[in-house]
Amino acid sequence: MNTHDAGPAGGAPPAGPEYRVAHLQDRLASGELGELGVHAEVRGGAVLVTGTVPSARCRDEVLAVVREELGGLDVHTDVVVSESSSPDHAEELS
Amino acid sequence: MIRVAAVGDIHMGPDTRGVLRPAFDTLPDCADVLLLAGDLTRHGTTDEARVVADEIRGLGVPVVAVLGNHDHHDDRQDEVSGLLRDAGAHVLEGEATVLSVGDARVGVAGTKGFGGGFVGASAGEFGEPVMKEFVRVSRRCADGLRTALERLAEEDCDVRIALTHYSPVPETLAGEPPEIYPFLGSYLLAEAIDTAGADLAVHGHAHAGSEHGMTTGGVKVRNVAQPVIGRAFHVYHLPLRERVGADAGTPAG
Ligand SMILES: [Fe+2]
Ligand SMILES: [Fe+2]
Repeated sequence: MNTHDAGPAGGAPPAGPEYRVAHLQDRLASGELGELGVHAEVRGGAVLVTGTVPSARCRDEVLAVVREELGGLDVHTDVVVSESSSPDHAEELS
Repeated sequence: MIRVAAVGDIHMGPDTRGVLRPAFDTLPDCADVLLLAGDLTRHGTTDEARVVADEIRGLGVPVVAVLGNHDHHDDRQDEVSGLLRDAGAHVLEGEATVLSVGDARVGVAGTKGFGGGFVGASAGEFGEPVMKEFVRVSRRCADGLRTALERLAEEDCDVRIALTHYSPVPETLAGEPPEIYPFLGSYLLAEAIDTAGADLAVHGHAHAGSEHGMTTGGVKVRNVAQPVIGRAFHVYHLPLRERVGADAGTPAG
């Protein structure tokens, strides 16, 4: 959704959440989680954190880091645990 | 027909010990080989590699693997490879292996690969030493893949598969931010595949990418990163080409 009133206002705007989101991404990738599969982006006024992680523990750790780094921001998370069931069909390649 | 099971980016650690095994135990019923497309661990530690090794030991189908960037993180890639080999896997880096499946010979050539980007937006071997080294590493991986695929051609394989961690094509990255494509793969891999020839290319690494793609030379590409396929593995059925000399020869292509 687009907002019609978005745009630079006069004067120095307060730093947006972009740097904090970048730091979050850095910390997820280089910290002890080594989690490159989680993506955070600023959408509208909120931060959207999405991704698939290998275990429920990883998910909890990711969400804890997100809370720590993005405290005070409007954050929506959709981080799911990898599905580990057998496939129910095969793909025929010609 | 050859039944190829494949998955990448299983990113195992002590807390996921055993989660894939129930699905892997069904492999002998539905596949002739399991390909592991790298990022088998989270940080490339030997503890994590042992979890992977236990997960694949004695599966009843041959296992062929390449490592991913995560498997290099702890700088113990040789030990990680060693642990996987001890568990029976073929671990490839610029190498090939030939498996016998019934009467058929299945060749797999593998490399981790590296980034650099794709045609029109790729890094060049220019400037700072670290930048040149980046591109050189990518080229070395691609050269290793090409050489390994060519060796398989000489060995008269019925099916040849290119196994990488990084992507050879941009199509299977769809879903990832375009800005990071140069960190997700390199056209040099696709060029190697198209030059040497292959029947299928399998990769991982792009967790938010898409499963299906194709090289400009017409080789099918599949991104089997576990978050992409949403399963413990996917299975691809590859037709066997008619042997030279058999009638009803199929046209190349
Ligand atoms: Fe990965
Ligand atoms: Fe990766």
